Amino acid sequence: MPGSNYDRDLTVKEGFVLSKFLVKWEMILVYILLALNLVLILFKTDLYFQAGTVQSIINAGLDVSPMVLGMVFILLLGDIDCSVAAQMIFGGMVTGLLMDKGVPAIIAVICGIIACMCCGAFNGACVAYLKMPAVITTISTAMLFRGIVEIVLGENSLKNFPAWYNKIGWYNIADIIPLSALLFIIMGVIFCFVLHKTTFGRRAYIVGNNPTCATYSGISVTKVKMQIFILMGFMAGIGSIFFIGRMGGGVSSSMGTGYEMTAIACAVLGGVSTNGGKGKMYGPIIATFIMAFLTYTLGLLGVDPNTKKIFTGVILILTILISTVNKQMIKDIKLKLIYHSNKNIEAINYRTIDFVKEKKAEIVEIKKSGAADADKKIAAINAEIEAAKKECAEKSAAWWAEQKADAQKAKERFSK
Amino acid sequence: MKNLLKSRNTGLIVVLILLLIVAGIVTPTMFGVQSLISMLQNNSVYALLAVGEMCVILTGGIDISIASQLAFVGIVCTSLSCSNPTVPGIVFVLLGLVLGALCGGLNGFLVGKLKMVPMICTLGTMYIFRGLAFVVSGGEWWFAVAYSDTYRNWAIARVLGLPAIIWIAIIVMIIAGFFQSYTTAGRRIYAIGTSRESAAVAGVNEGTVTLYAYIICGALTGLAGMLYTANYAIGYYGMAEGFEMTAIAICVLGGVSITGGKGRMDGVAIGVLIMAVVTYFISMIPGMSVWQKALQGAIIIVAVAINYFTERSAAKQALKERGALI
Repeated sequence: MPGSNYDRDLTVKEGFVLSKFLVKWEMILVYILLALNLVLILFKTDLYFQAGTVQSIINAGLDVSPMVLGMVFILLLGDIDCSVAAQMIFGGMVTGLLMDKGVPAIIAVICGIIACMCCGAFNGACVAYLKMPAVITTISTAMLFRGIVEIVLGENSLKNFPAWYNKIGWYNIADIIPLSALLFIIMGVIFCFVLHKTTFGRRAYIVGNNPTCATYSGISVTKVKMQIFILMGFMAGIGSIFFIGRMGGGVSSSMGTGYEMTAIACAVLGGVSTNGGKGKMYGPIIATFIMAFLTYTLGLLGVDPNTKKIFTGVILILTILISTVNKQMIKDIKLKLIYHSNKNIEAINYRTIDFVKEKKAEIVEIKKSGAADADKKIAAINAEIEAAKKECAEKSAAWWAEQKADAQKAKERFSK
Repeated sequence: MKNLLKSRNTGLIVVLILLLIVAGIVTPTMFGVQSLISMLQNNSVYALLAVGEMCVILTGGIDISIASQLAFVGIVCTSLSCSNPTVPGIVFVLLGLVLGALCGGLNGFLVGKLKMVPMICTLGTMYIFRGLAFVVSGGEWWFAVAYSDTYRNWAIARVLGLPAIIWIAIIVMIIAGFFQSYTTAGRRIYAIGTSRESAAVAGVNEGTVTLYAYIICGALTGLAGMLYTANYAIGYYGMAEGFEMTAIAICVLGGVSITGGKGRMDGVAIGVLIMAVVTYFISMIPGMSVWQKALQGAIIIVAVAINYFTERSAAKQALKERGALI
């Protein structure tokens, strides 16, 4: 029937499945967050329920938050940006210098953000137009930007920043809701919308998944990359406001080293794949809070800040390992360890397992129906299962022996 | 002659000579024999790191944990040698090699066998090793008085007029160059860096080759860690921060392609010399030390861009020679 393809119903009919929802990565992150809170409540009950503790944990941990949102986009492209911390300090320096010159606060802040966007554009131009690898480009631009700050500031630090910077860092609305958390969540909602519901966000996914495919679909890969790197610069500029606010209004060239790693760690912990094209915006938002609580919990439990680095590293590696373990990998490991890398043995084992499953389902059905000769039928099926298992074992053993003999022969031949 | 003109190394040597001339005009004191030797002595650690990093970059990976590895191994060697000053230094050289190989093995296992992304994996281990360095040292600092002579002699003893550390760096570079160019194992590193798929089809076990590339990198880093502490006679957990960038910069400068499979030891050797002259030159001019970071960053960017353009034009040239229509 011509045109039947167009009549087909193409809507996804998955619906809401509770069991699947509960083991989603985002939900696991929520559990981790709750578990961390539980640990804090159990070990530091008084402190936890004191006014202001939770707020200060959140305030202290959220200085990287704007950069996490931008980093998600960068990672979705399959790129990485190691220069965000340097960009942040660079933007802060521009704002601080302009404030020192007596420029109105709002203009100084906007100039700082624009400076960050220029840094982002420089990265973007190198990565998108010159097609240089993002890792090495951003590592070296990080040195470049921080080096410029070092040249300009030397050993000095800038102290002159708008008063509302501090408020963003530490103010709590009605003493309950931290202002930084509120702003972060508002930004998060905007970013969720942009990533999941707009053409721009979907383009980031397709460019990350398959740039060639994106080109053939009429998407300018270079343009998308450029836009996203500039967006990252913008978020680094916003990040400088959060950061300086939390640091109590001061910038020097050595501040904020390692923040790019925290931002990347948050995004990766949130389930964004570093190969590009995979990940959602909700995960990293929760992961940012996890990082905040984790740092504080470790600090409270008496772990020294340098030892904390070990935890950060282990967590980073473990989360990525967990996300790389999938069905195919388990199958490969099974093939190697149990089935002696022999595809025939693997195939017959899988076939037997399927066969046994089928027969067992039959038994259950027969039991349900309650027919007169149920016992007899079940016995027959059981015998069948046994036979199949026996055959499988015999054949596997035979093939394994054959393979060993072959290997032995090959060894002998090559040793001559 | 034509090949010589086209070769990238010729360009690098010209740059090196120009740099030396400029440096000689601006700071004539630089050309004393002693100052040149001390320049080489201080950059031998970078040479070792760059050789190790080169092995990893050739596979198409990157290892940004080497500075932390260096600090960790250096701290372990230092603390053991300071508590047992009678043990001969060779023990610690071997210990450094083995410990470094273990650290590299961890990276190699995660990247080669468990297929993690090299950048993220070594980012994680960078934190881990730096943390371990702190745990082992307990926040302690070691200064020159704590080091035994037999330990320090591995770096500073004069052999044929040059400090031992320079000889070690030269020997390692020669062996590594031979290994990479003339042995099966070395060629396999290039093979998987050029194309994983074709290497796998040709019967190269990609995971294993990646693993030993990282182990080589780790072992050389461990050696560098021991020699670094012996050379400067100082040990603390935060040492050598940012060295990984210098090592990568040297590799890129020497013509090692960051995407893997391209680059030779002679280029890296010239890269080490150029980096040495630049950093030494900057440190000789008063007030210029703040420029170091920015200049290094700029040098890497320019070097990567030049690498990229030469590769692209070479590919185009090859296409033209084959008579393709472009």
